[in-house]
Amino acid sequence: MGNRMQEQKSSITTTLLAAVISFVFVLALFYGLDHLVMSMQGLPLNADLSPAG
Amino acid sequence: MNRLFDSILPWGKALCWAVLVALLALGVAQAAGDDALSRISPVGMVQVEGEPPIEMPVAVEEEVVEPMVAPRPTRADYPNIGVSSRAIVWVLAQLHLFFAALVLAVPLFVLTIELLGVFTGDERYDSMAHEFMKISLTGFSITAIFGGSLALALFLLYPDFMAYMTHVFGAQLMVYAGLFFLESFFLYTYYYGWNAFRYGNLKWVHLTLGLLLNAAGMTIMVVSNSWATFMMAPSGVNEVGAVIGNIWEVMKGPLWNPINLHRFIANIAFGGAVVGAYAAFKFLSTNDPEKRAHYDWMGYTSNFIAILAFLPLPFAGYWLMAEIYAYSQQMGITAMGGILAWLFIVQAVLIGTILLAGNFYLWAGMSRTDGSERYKGLIKFIAFVLVVCFLIWVTPHTLILSASEIALLGGSHHHILGPLGIMPAKNVAVNLMLVVTFLSFQLYRRSDKVATVSWAPMGNALMVAIYVVAIANIIFLGVYYGYFTNTVYKVGSSVAQVASTLVVIVAGIVIDTLMFKNAKTLPSHWGRIPDRSQYALFALPIAFTWLMGLMGYVRSSVKTHWHVYTVMKDNSPDNFIPTIGYAGNMITIVTVLFLLCVLFMFWVANLSGTRQSKPIAVVEGGVA
Repeated sequence: MGNRMQEQKSSITTTLLAAVISFVFVLALFYGLDHLVMSMQGLPLNADLSPAG
Repeated sequence: MNRLFDSILPWGKALCWAVLVALLALGVAQAAGDDALSRISPVGMVQVEGEPPIEMPVAVEEEVVEPMVAPRPTRADYPNIGVSSRAIVWVLAQLHLFFAALVLAVPLFVLTIELLGVFTGDERYDSMAHEFMKISLTGFSITAIFGGSLALALFLLYPDFMAYMTHVFGAQLMVYAGLFFLESFFLYTYYYGWNAFRYGNLKWVHLTLGLLLNAAGMTIMVVSNSWATFMMAPSGVNEVGAVIGNIWEVMKGPLWNPINLHRFIANIAFGGAVVGAYAAFKFLSTNDPEKRAHYDWMGYTSNFIAILAFLPLPFAGYWLMAEIYAYSQQMGITAMGGILAWLFIVQAVLIGTILLAGNFYLWAGMSRTDGSERYKGLIKFIAFVLVVCFLIWVTPHTLILSASEIALLGGSHHHILGPLGIMPAKNVAVNLMLVVTFLSFQLYRRSDKVATVSWAPMGNALMVAIYVVAIANIIFLGVYYGYFTNTVYKVGSSVAQVASTLVVIVAGIVIDTLMFKNAKTLPSHWGRIPDRSQYALFALPIAFTWLMGLMGYVRSSVKTHWHVYTVMKDNSPDNFIPTIGYAGNMITIVTVLFLLCVLFMFWVANLSGTRQSKPIAVVEGGVA
């Protein structure tokens, strides 16, 4: 019983960790994408994504 | 030595003087001669008394050919046959384009399906590809009939315009005609050689025929597109329409490639939708489980093609409109800010219908597998997003109001709904609709599979994160840059929105391909789908046809009163943009006519598989 609970807990932790890592990675990806696509059009952005031009 | 010099010197002096005098005499004679030539010219042509006068030679000057400028026809130059010439050309051109789109698109995906059959070794793909070709075969003849009728109508009703176009495009028209011969050759060898070249190396011969058929078809399309884009944005001619460039410069106008891409994608979506209706019709008209399974699969494949091609279509349309604005801002405003702007609201209704029908078909199709239970809970959220975005998209910006209605509203724009009428809100709505449609598609594809790779939880987490962040990013880009920054950033952010949507689609395809490699497959029950789902397959081609008619009209009308924009004026009695109601009626009439022709095409395709049983001779007193 204790082992099963331990396994479940570990599985939840793994899933949560996977979700957090994925979310952070994807957030960084889209942040970079916004900068890239806008600057390619000659529309630079500040670090907080406000227009720099 | 000195004596020698002394003896030579006088002779030398004398020689020098002689040379000097000779040169002087020669120069004087030359000068005198020139003068005489100019006075008694022509030299040696002296008229002798009693002889006929000598004909003076005339200097031959090189003839300078003035380039042909665009004609300036008057109202009287347009033949009057009692009915609107524009209406006749409108109906014929649109019907020709509908069928041309169909018969150019079907061989494209037929070739892909056939190739899929070769790689998978599944003969069902091959049979289905053959059946798709059978359906569209009648369409080739109908396309040619409408094309010929259109050419005759144009030469009869708009002779000056056609004279100018044939002058500008010249020999290219002969190339166009030659391509028809090529296409017909490849079409008939491809279709009738299907069973003769079915296996082994001969199959590759058959595939090559299909490839060449598509190459001929595509070339026909891009050549004829150049005529339409020349009329909208002429190139290779000067301001009075005289040709100053070669044929390539005439063809490659600024709108040529955007139109090529847009029509290429739209044709595939349209072709998929039309053959899907055929599958639905066959599915509903039989009770044989085997046939129902076959036509269910055929309908699914058609819908798959139509929706997959439809997803990038708005982006191609966006590029086309951006190029129109870049070419002529006035033309862009006529399309999206003037009288034609209201048609974009109708466009939103039709695209909304397509997306709702496509999604509904996917959701209904999930019932084919038991594994779909895992995802059915998400459908209501997808439906909610679709409906809300659809409503945002159809919200107009400027309403046609009476004075009392304006007073009641507190202004010409509604204080809450007004902001939803402009492009940033619509960009958010369109992108979200495409993202959730892809989600429906992905859930459908996943419903009969169970991933077996160890990293499946990580893959799912990544996919969920991509959806969540992409949706948030699309909304952020639309709201922040659309309403709180300047116009340049507002327009630029729409490109970033498109990029976000494309990331979702590409990432979804890549992750699913890797994650479901060697996945456990759950049984799919083809034919186990509610009958009502088939009506979605009927709705798709109707909405597509209407949409093509509508947007084709907008594309053509942005030229306003010009045959060839800024170069050749239209002075016919129809040189004005008609009312929205009239245009709506015309588009509807053409749509109905096309659908009737499609029914005829289906009937003919069905007829080829029908065999009458031999009549039994009846004689008096019993059967013979």
